Amino acid sequence: MYLIEKSNVMKLAEELAKSYELYGPVTDKETGQVFFSRVDNASEISLSAELPALPPKSVVFPQIERIMKYKYDRDAKKAEIEADYDKSSKAIFGMRPCDLTGLIVLDRFFLGQEFVDEVYREHRKRMFIVSNTCVVPFKQCFCVCTDSGPAADEGYDLNLTEIGDMYLVEAGSEKGKALAEKLGLKAAGDEYVALKKEVVDKSISLFEKVATDNKAWISRVMNRVTTGFIKEEVWEYIGKQCFECGACTFVCPTCSCFNVEDHNRFDGSTDRLRTWDSCSFEGYTKMAGDHNPRHPVEDRRNKRFFCKLSYSQSKKYLRPGCVGCGRCQWVCPGDIGLPNVVTYIRREITE
Amino acid sequence: MDYKSGICNFCGTGCGNFLKITDGRINGVYSSRNHPVSKGRLCVRGWHIHEWLMTDQRIASPMIRIDGSLKNVSYEEAVNFMMEKMKDNKPEETGFLASPRSSNENNYLFMKLARSVFKTNNITLDSESGHRASLNVLSDGAGFAGMTGSLEEIGKTGFILIVGSDITKMNPIIGSEIHKAQLAGTRVVTICSRSSQMAKLSNTHLQIKPGTKNTILAALAKAVISEGGEDADFINGSTEGFEKFAQTVCDLDPEMVFSLTGIEYAAIKEVAKELCSSESAMAFWSTGISGLEQETVSYIYNLFLLSGKIGKENCGVNPVAGIANLQGGYDMGAAPDLLTGFRKLDNSGSVSEFEKAWGVELNREPGRDIYELLADSNSGLKALVVADHDEGIIRYEKEIDGLEFVAYFGAYDNPFIKYADVVFPVAALIEDDGTYTNTERRVQLSQKRIEPFENVLPGWKLFSMIASKASMDWKYSSAEDVFNEITSLTPEYSGLSYPKLSGSMGIQWPCDDSNPEGLKRLDANAMKRKFRFTPVSGDFAAPSATPEYPFLLMRGQGEHFWHQNNIMKKSYIPKREYNATLLVYPKGYVEICKEDAQKLQVREHWTVKVVSASGSMDVSVKVSEDVRPGTAYVPYFIREMITEFLLEHKSYTVKCEDAIIPVRIERV
Repeated sequence: MYLIEKSNVMKLAEELAKSYELYGPVTDKETGQVFFSRVDNASEISLSAELPALPPKSVVFPQIERIMKYKYDRDAKKAEIEADYDKSSKAIFGMRPCDLTGLIVLDRFFLGQEFVDEVYREHRKRMFIVSNTCVVPFKQCFCVCTDSGPAADEGYDLNLTEIGDMYLVEAGSEKGKALAEKLGLKAAGDEYVALKKEVVDKSISLFEKVATDNKAWISRVMNRVTTGFIKEEVWEYIGKQCFECGACTFVCPTCSCFNVEDHNRFDGSTDRLRTWDSCSFEGYTKMAGDHNPRHPVEDRRNKRFFCKLSYSQSKKYLRPGCVGCGRCQWVCPGDIGLPNVVTYIRREITE
Repeated sequence: MDYKSGICNFCGTGCGNFLKITDGRINGVYSSRNHPVSKGRLCVRGWHIHEWLMTDQRIASPMIRIDGSLKNVSYEEAVNFMMEKMKDNKPEETGFLASPRSSNENNYLFMKLARSVFKTNNITLDSESGHRASLNVLSDGAGFAGMTGSLEEIGKTGFILIVGSDITKMNPIIGSEIHKAQLAGTRVVTICSRSSQMAKLSNTHLQIKPGTKNTILAALAKAVISEGGEDADFINGSTEGFEKFAQTVCDLDPEMVFSLTGIEYAAIKEVAKELCSSESAMAFWSTGISGLEQETVSYIYNLFLLSGKIGKENCGVNPVAGIANLQGGYDMGAAPDLLTGFRKLDNSGSVSEFEKAWGVELNREPGRDIYELLADSNSGLKALVVADHDEGIIRYEKEIDGLEFVAYFGAYDNPFIKYADVVFPVAALIEDDGTYTNTERRVQLSQKRIEPFENVLPGWKLFSMIASKASMDWKYSSAEDVFNEITSLTPEYSGLSYPKLSGSMGIQWPCDDSNPEGLKRLDANAMKRKFRFTPVSGDFAAPSATPEYPFLLMRGQGEHFWHQNNIMKKSYIPKREYNATLLVYPKGYVEICKEDAQKLQVREHWTVKVVSASGSMDVSVKVSEDVRPGTAYVPYFIREMITEFLLEHKSYTVKCEDAIIPVRIERV
């Protein structure tokens, strides 16, 4: 454990920027919206900014990215293939615990035992992660229900916790320790363990009632979802409100579905692209001969909640698929963000 | 930071977005949480706008047709070629087809080019059917050629009436706003012959027999009056023409209403009561390709006028534009008889203002509609200039092929190029600045974020180049200069400027000396004239099924295929969704209910022949709970369906969504 003055904390980011492409939460000046974005300068980053509208998922799994390139020479009947994708080293600065948990879930999908995704691995390989404890929860947050906050306990190289006018800096890896040592951060005394706990406990006490209320309910709802005891009408009520826009999937820190497309370039070469996809789209599950295991919209909708809230899926991720960030609630044209779905199911249980 | 604010360019909702620009290329989009219209939401189209904007299916160079094939040339050569070919055409032999997707600046210059260089008023806004009809009613009735309410007030209104239209598919974010209002307590009533998603999300769904919207709206007006629900003070003090309208609707016989619409008069009275007892109310209907006919719009407007739900807080009579700049296109005067700001061309005062500003003498005779000219074999149309054609399907292909000369202006590869003798590439959205006016009159600035593809020219530069060939000196050095000229000639836009729009998330016109920050909603107290009840014919004849043609066929469109839209086809995910439908229904489909399928002895996917008095088409069957017995529905997204079947019904292009075709369905 180390300490750094609040006024000096960005030195960490500046140091990282020397050897990594730097990413962090940035507030758009015109609109006040926060993005997790690549920056040219560490000073663009704000550690106190609210939860970014766009999760850092987009750093390791961009909305659209080239995974290879090829060019076909018609005359020679030869194709040149090139594994041309983003191979930069990246530093993620100021990631919130829910998003870090999301990243761990993505790791289990893309770097799982059965299959390792090379492109994803390249994003992740040399990554340096600095997480940031939420000393005050944001309005829509419910990570206390999904075991993913308000403080991170794994996956970071360095973890920051704001305590008074200092940041407590915990090293989670040798790489993290080396950076702290290099910058000559002073060691924090043992009393900081208790001080940090105090800060985190305070944060937990500040969550909206709906989050603390839901705490046990999320697991009860998981039980219901897994055993299939949810009435058709509830799924129908949810499905009817689905506008099939895909937004919940796109903003979710753990959603990993993608599609692959070839983009023909004007210069005659072709980019093979990976793009975000969503289980709410009809074409996503459509098979030849018009078989679609999830034809009605409610089937596609509840698939997503199965993915987030069932034991079978949780076994894969070693945790629920939802990390409690509440972004799906922000972007849903219906009223079926995950917390609401939990509420609907809960209403059914109590009735 | 890689994210730059922008405006979605698909439908007329005008949602805010953020575009991800990395190293001068676009590679992502994100929703805008603080945008007053979209509030963090986008629809399936909006979430994939980067796929369209990053496409390489572009027009990269000017081209001219020599011996039947197109050949790359310089802009200079292409302009010379065009001017040479068009130099002998008389104004009445020349036509301009403008696009509801082009920016205000480009539409204005296109209109200026037609009127000042080629002296023709034959200029039509493409893909519009219905919006003009709505603007005619609102302009005539309220002196206000645009949505009288505001999308921001949807959440605060007490009652919402939706007429026709699958709004959650066509303008999903407006649908979402209505849905959220409903959840919070607003009464939502949908009048629609099909059980659309919006109908399912409404408190009341009046599932009328097809083609009887006028009847039910008139019956609603009658019910309001007979229950004493009309706003008498408002009618006496602020309106004229009530008596005549009241006479027309009060003559309606409830029995006849029931037999025509299939809806009990008691249910109609119930809705009328809800409308009148609500503090505020809004009406929505789609315009654009599947809009309503003028008479239907008149009934909606008159109904709201008599119940006093117009020009007041949280009230509005609201046409919803299907395409990004459909409203802006009319604001820019892209019509045979209009100048900017919906001013009539026959108003010589306005014409002389333009003559003075442009330094030319204008043709004061209103022109003709391009499709009318194409349909009329004796029209003498010889040359057609087209911009940003939006639909994958071209109407009157044969006639266009037969023209002497066709010029095409656009950013993307387009089926119209097949007919073009000269093709000009133009910088695309985000390659140049431009303003777009959404369906609630919100003028928004979309800024230049990347350099133009292969150095193609922005509209203002290209159109100026053409004008200079005709010895006219257009002095623009940016899109902003064009906008400044627009504001100087358009009273509703007079208070707007790029600096004012920049970072504003849009300003709703009229923005002038009396409304420096724009106007959210028409204000009855500030009206300089009285509201007028707009004329209705009182003809309630509806198409009826006969033993020979027992089904009433309705038509509509879906979210992904969106009239075989050209830009949708340049995306990946929405195109995949379109293809998924196409794979299963390569010839399109007709929705019929289970009982009818049993009667016809057909099953899902079987091919049937849909036969009307004017033609027939083969389509697949889709068994659906969304249609009633005796009614059938086709979403039109297949070329043959449109060119070979629907277009044969002349009423189709005129009456839009209201066009109902009696058919019979045969097993094949």
